[in-house]
Amino acid sequence: MASVTLEHVKKIYDKKVVAVHDFNLQIKDKEFVVFVGPSGCGKSTTLRMVAGLEDISEGTLKIGDRVVNDVEPKDRDIAMVFQNYALYPHISVYENMAFPLRLRKMDKEEIHRRVTQAAEILGITEYLGRKPKALSGGQRQRVAIGRAIVREPQVFLMDEPLSNLDAKLRNQMRAEIILLRKRIDTTFIYVTHDQTEAMTLGDRIVIMKDGFIQQVGTPQEVFDTPKNLFVAGFIGAPQMNFLKAKLIKNGQGYAVQVQGITVPLEEKHNAILAKKGVGEMDVVLGVRPEHTTVRFGNKENAIESTITVNEMMGSELHLHVSTAAWDSVILRLPTVDLDETTRSSLSYGNKLYFNFPGKVMHLFDPNTEESLLYNKD
Amino acid sequence: MSKKNEIPEVDIVIDHEAGVIREVKPTNLRSKAGHERRVNGSIYTLLVIISIVWLAPFVFLVFQSFRSYLTENGGMVAYLLPKKWSLDNYTWLLTDEKSNFLRWYGNTLLIALFCSVIQTGMVLSVSYTLSRLRFKGRKLIMNVVLVLGMFPGFLTMITLYFLLKQLGLTQEGAIPGLILIYCASSGMGYYISKGFFDTIPKSLDESARIDGATRAQVFMKIIMPLAKPIVIYTVLMAFMAPWGDYVFASYVAFGSEPNYNVAVGLYRWVNVNDYQGYFTRFCAGGVLVAVPITALFLALQKYYVEGVTGGAVKG
Repeated sequence: MASVTLEHVKKIYDKKVVAVHDFNLQIKDKEFVVFVGPSGCGKSTTLRMVAGLEDISEGTLKIGDRVVNDVEPKDRDIAMVFQNYALYPHISVYENMAFPLRLRKMDKEEIHRRVTQAAEILGITEYLGRKPKALSGGQRQRVAIGRAIVREPQVFLMDEPLSNLDAKLRNQMRAEIILLRKRIDTTFIYVTHDQTEAMTLGDRIVIMKDGFIQQVGTPQEVFDTPKNLFVAGFIGAPQMNFLKAKLIKNGQGYAVQVQGITVPLEEKHNAILAKKGVGEMDVVLGVRPEHTTVRFGNKENAIESTITVNEMMGSELHLHVSTAAWDSVILRLPTVDLDETTRSSLSYGNKLYFNFPGKVMHLFDPNTEESLLYNKD
Repeated sequence: MSKKNEIPEVDIVIDHEAGVIREVKPTNLRSKAGHERRVNGSIYTLLVIISIVWLAPFVFLVFQSFRSYLTENGGMVAYLLPKKWSLDNYTWLLTDEKSNFLRWYGNTLLIALFCSVIQTGMVLSVSYTLSRLRFKGRKLIMNVVLVLGMFPGFLTMITLYFLLKQLGLTQEGAIPGLILIYCASSGMGYYISKGFFDTIPKSLDESARIDGATRAQVFMKIIMPLAKPIVIYTVLMAFMAPWGDYVFASYVAFGSEPNYNVAVGLYRWVNVNDYQGYFTRFCAGGVLVAVPITALFLALQKYYVEGVTGGAVKG
């Protein structure tokens, strides 16, 4: 168990392509940190630098108190689970899991004890004699995790471990990773492009784009107070709606004008804006689909829209609607209280009325794309 | 079969111009089949002729080797099958004190064994290095090797001969000299095995390195077992080249009979010694040369097609 510290870490390929810019992060001992972002954002590269599979172009990487920039992967005391499992196909599951221990010249009985124990935790005891190719995807991934946990490493790295599994298995394995984490209680760095995995697994999430860290925070923080438009759009499903609006000064405080409706800001937000010295300006208002209300009866103060897409998710409906001012707004509507007639009326081309609650939660500067209400730095 | 159940032999043809479907007399159909049969027939005939041309020398060689040089003519004769089957040629080769055959056979085997070990080691390490490691000049090395490979090996013959002579590796030193020649450039033949290594997922290497293996351990414990077919292929190729070589062996060992390899020795019998007397013994020697190679191939051929990477990654 150890902390991991990245100070001004950079990765430059071929002296010109910068894959990771000035990465600074302090990962605490026993913390579960998730790197999340779209393809090519540098999250896997960063993880591979921690693993020692990629050279660090600039900056310092510490595991515990030791600088490990030039330490071979085998001497870093880390374990890694790969997206494609990377099991050794020519040896049995047992030997796969024993492989790292044998390389360390560990006592035979100790190897046996650790392998059988890990197999038991992961429920793969009956497959120990098989070759990897006789296993299903989920079982292979368990073996890969098993091979990592027998090591009892200081840091546990996972590179998109669930991406090759089907949706149902992925959910199941996600839950198992949460349980596993409780059992083995060590430092985890987990890379994924899936925001659900990031939100459910991480103590802290590092959101990356184009080699830059966009925001670091707990799942709640990045969901409630995204630092910029990218984070706001990336975290949360369905995606946050971005609407053009105007920020105006309204007596003592600020207010947002959108589609003829004026919504005053809350006291804490007023204070932040006043402190930043923000004047009247065009802004982007961010509204999460779950913060909209569909109005069936009372159409007063509501916005008229036309349904373009109706996605039935089971417990809820995701309705994509267009209005006079906006091309696409996503609304979220729980299905539990809907009767049959209402539900069938929610089809393509029909009119629908909705409005926002009288509370502004996310405001962004359209030029810098930064949140105007973020004040953590 | 009653007439009712017979399938009427008619061809149905759609006449697009007239817009109708017509029945065409079955002759058409039959002639089509006949045409196909004729084409196939001529192809097979051609193939049979080619294979006879290709096989004849081998059959001829084997038959000649069983014709005794004592009771019948030891040279060329006008008939194929020996009048009396005998092992005299083989006995002479293996036991007669004038025969150097076993010595030559031993020389060749020694050279081939050394080469197959050294060359396999070199080829596989070069291939693995070029497949997995990234270093300055990697591309350059690969290009230079590609260009060098365009020149036929015997262009360097004279230079090599003088170099070896300086080192005392000709005539009496021909065996180590030949091993040196065969092995020195062997790393250049990395293409096929590099191609094979490229298909083994890199994440296996990475995983093993994180698990605690050095590069050498990754190579020996992970890559080698997975590359069994290519290892066997490389061993066979490395064994065969010196086993059948004539050009280099003949000039490096020139004039020193005990240091000939089997190809040079046998050739000199028929060419220099006594063409008419030694021909059947030459044939028997040829058969004995083919034996180990044939045995090796039969024993190892199943590895050629063995798929090994299944199960390594998602699949």
